Amino acid sequence: MVFTLLKESTVFALQALIANKLRTFLSLLGITIGIFAIITVFTIVDSLERNIRGSVQSLGDNVVFVMKWPWSFGPDYPWWKYMNRPVPVYKELGEVQRKVKGAEAVGFRIGARKTLKHLNNTVENGIVSGWSYDYGKVKTFDIVEGRYFREDEAEGGYNVVILGNALAEGLFPNNEYAIGKTIKVAGRSCKVIGLFKKEGESMLGNTMDNQAVVPYNFARLFMDVKSENSDPFIAVKAKVGVSNAQLKDELTGAMRSIRSLKPLADDNFALNETNLLSKNFDSLFDIVGLAGAIIGGFSILVGGFGIANIMFVSVRERTNLIGIQKSLGAKNYFILAQFLFEAVFLSLLGGIIGLLLIYLLTLLAQGNIDMEITLTRSNVILGLTISVLIGIISGFIPAYGASQLDPVEAIRTN
Amino acid sequence: MAQVIRPRIISILSVTAIILTLLAFPMLFMPSIKRMGDFVPMVLGIIITLQFVAVIGVWHMKRWGVSLFVMMFTIRVITFMFLEMYSFRFYFNIFYSVVFIFVFLYYYKKMDTNL
Repeated sequence: MVFTLLKESTVFALQALIANKLRTFLSLLGITIGIFAIITVFTIVDSLERNIRGSVQSLGDNVVFVMKWPWSFGPDYPWWKYMNRPVPVYKELGEVQRKVKGAEAVGFRIGARKTLKHLNNTVENGIVSGWSYDYGKVKTFDIVEGRYFREDEAEGGYNVVILGNALAEGLFPNNEYAIGKTIKVAGRSCKVIGLFKKEGESMLGNTMDNQAVVPYNFARLFMDVKSENSDPFIAVKAKVGVSNAQLKDELTGAMRSIRSLKPLADDNFALNETNLLSKNFDSLFDIVGLAGAIIGGFSILVGGFGIANIMFVSVRERTNLIGIQKSLGAKNYFILAQFLFEAVFLSLLGGIIGLLLIYLLTLLAQGNIDMEITLTRSNVILGLTISVLIGIISGFIPAYGASQLDPVEAIRTN
Repeated sequence: MAQVIRPRIISILSVTAIILTLLAFPMLFMPSIKRMGDFVPMVLGIIITLQFVAVIGVWHMKRWGVSLFVMMFTIRVITFMFLEMYSFRFYFNIFYSVVFIFVFLYYYKKMDTNL
């Protein structure tokens, strides 16, 4: 019974589609555009979120950064309050290590854009980072060849460097072996002791690919450590079982004591967490998602009206046929299901075309954008479900009207 | 099609319910709804669609329309409570749905039992 119903409805729907190609195409266009708009926005937002979360996780979600500027965005950012604050300095590192008991590791980092050279190969504006030894315990990274610098190398300011993938490829083209070779970092000779694993592009710009890491005590020879341009900060990783809030409380006390701040004085440092970045991006994604939802949602509704229109025409064209079917014993639900299935079929077809367009777009994007954009299974299922539901909403009124027709009057209709 | 005798209040409430249902549809794609889970927009979409079908039934003075409307109202309240969606919209939904149900039930005996 159900099979017959599905078979007949499919045949009717296909006949109607083939007989009125242009009309069908124009009706489907609304649903196609609606599904395309909504699922494209969801796909892009999902991909951006995934990428940003990956970048944030590489910074560490149980890490608190002691910095000059707080991480927040928006028009009400009171920059004038922060501009006269001092930047964190290396000598504060030891104090923080000593005073903060909830910290598993405390590291210091500075960085600046410098020129790197090896024989005739030059990389301009490579990011040279100066790390204290313990910063390697705070930051997440992988070394594919060679090693991280030893504690004595870090303390002694040895001229050793670990290169990111992009820098290594620039300085040592044609898969030349880099470990043990000497390169020039900001005009100073430096021995390559390790290579970072390739990470790819990062939304936050914190990929290791274009970084050259040297011990802090070596970096301070050619970087202005007290300058804001060197972006100095102290990174504190919490012990297992210590929350970021607890760590921040302890750090606030320690930093206020280190900087000898009076009880009523404001903090002259910012304690930043990676979840602050996530929250800022969440609100941005909410705005993008909301715009997509409103545009796509109403496009789909308009597309639904198109389907409803074609179904009213379809019922009108086949009124005579409905009368014959009913007079031969067809039940109301049979007629209802026939037209409803046709509407769902049309809408689903529009949705599938919309999803195929998005899939083609993601394939195009793969070759041209560094970020990975994928059409997820959940978005495909969502797109198809919406199509079916819009088909039901737009097709129910004409289908129900058809099922309620009087067979005698229906047969008489020309 | 057979002529339906429909009280004016049912006509007004049905048209209002259809408009509210259609306006609720784009809300399914709100980022806040999607963040609750991948399947939440689909579940809410099915509820909205069936509620729309129920209102069409009520418009045609069919008893199945009222039954489906009450069923969908119950499922929607349970779903919203399960998802902890206690917003102004939730209470507003409950308010107008209860009013609709009272009016629909008042005319229930005058409605048709067939499909």
